[in-house]
Amino acid sequence: MPTMQINAKHVNPFIEAAMRVVKEVVGIEVRRGHLSYKPKVEPSLQVSIIIGIYGFLTGQVVYSLDGRLAEKIVDKLLEGRSPVEKKIMFLDSLGEIANMITGNATSLLNHRKGEALSITTPAIATGSNLSIHLVPKPALVLGLITQYGPIEISIAMEEKETLTEVEGIVGELAEV
Amino acid sequence: MAKKVLVVDDANFMRMIVRDTLVPNGFEIAGEAVNGNEAVTKYAALRPDLVTMDITMRDKDGLAAAREILNRFPEARIVMVTALGQEKMLMDCISIGVRDFVVKPFTPERILSAVKKALV
Repeated sequence: MPTMQINAKHVNPFIEAAMRVVKEVVGIEVRRGHLSYKPKVEPSLQVSIIIGIYGFLTGQVVYSLDGRLAEKIVDKLLEGRSPVEKKIMFLDSLGEIANMITGNATSLLNHRKGEALSITTPAIATGSNLSIHLVPKPALVLGLITQYGPIEISIAMEEKETLTEVEGIVGELAEV
Repeated sequence: MAKKVLVVDDANFMRMIVRDTLVPNGFEIAGEAVNGNEAVTKYAALRPDLVTMDITMRDKDGLAAAREILNRFPEARIVMVTALGQEKMLMDCISIGVRDFVVKPFTPERILSAVKKALV
């Protein structure tokens, strides 16, 4: 089985994009937290937003945050709106923030002028007993700290060439 | 007479932001669509003066919808409003005749300026 190579250079654009989008759109200060490794992507907190990336880089990004922070973000985004509107747009607005972070990060990641990276629409899951089937790939997990709680961004991506090269080597070995 | 705008975005939240920016500045919202298929159908039915179009949407994405609208209605004025600010995406949009390309997050001034310029 080919193993995935995680590249730390894929993480910096997400740090930059997340700090910018959360500060600009939500108005909350964000500090950089820990960077760690997980053998597979998994949602760690109460609200998780999953976005796929495809193109010359392929993989998934999972944004996890706790319920209190999610509520604070929605409160700030929908300031002045009724509780009913906030409830209706709760998942939608969180998904849009994740979409903006991922979209901005792909712009920073994409050094190839002739190719574009595409992203999927966000899939959102909430609850303390989350059960989501994600691609079982190792991930770099980036922690961000806000005054209302943490955000964890799990990034599991690989370059198409890397995957092809590894598969090619495995194929060649199998033939020997 | 107020210029009529069709707002296309799968996120209710983003449609609200665009609506709340345009309406107080004298624009009328002709309609809203949540995916590319709906955008094409609503454009044909409502014939708005301008469309603000997201790119990443289910069913049909905004680039495909813009292409279809511009093929059928070459006079259509479309402004893309997207989180995907990559150069290739921008070039693809310009090559099919999109008037402007606004990257999310945007300021109210940025989207107002894009919409006004596209309508000149």
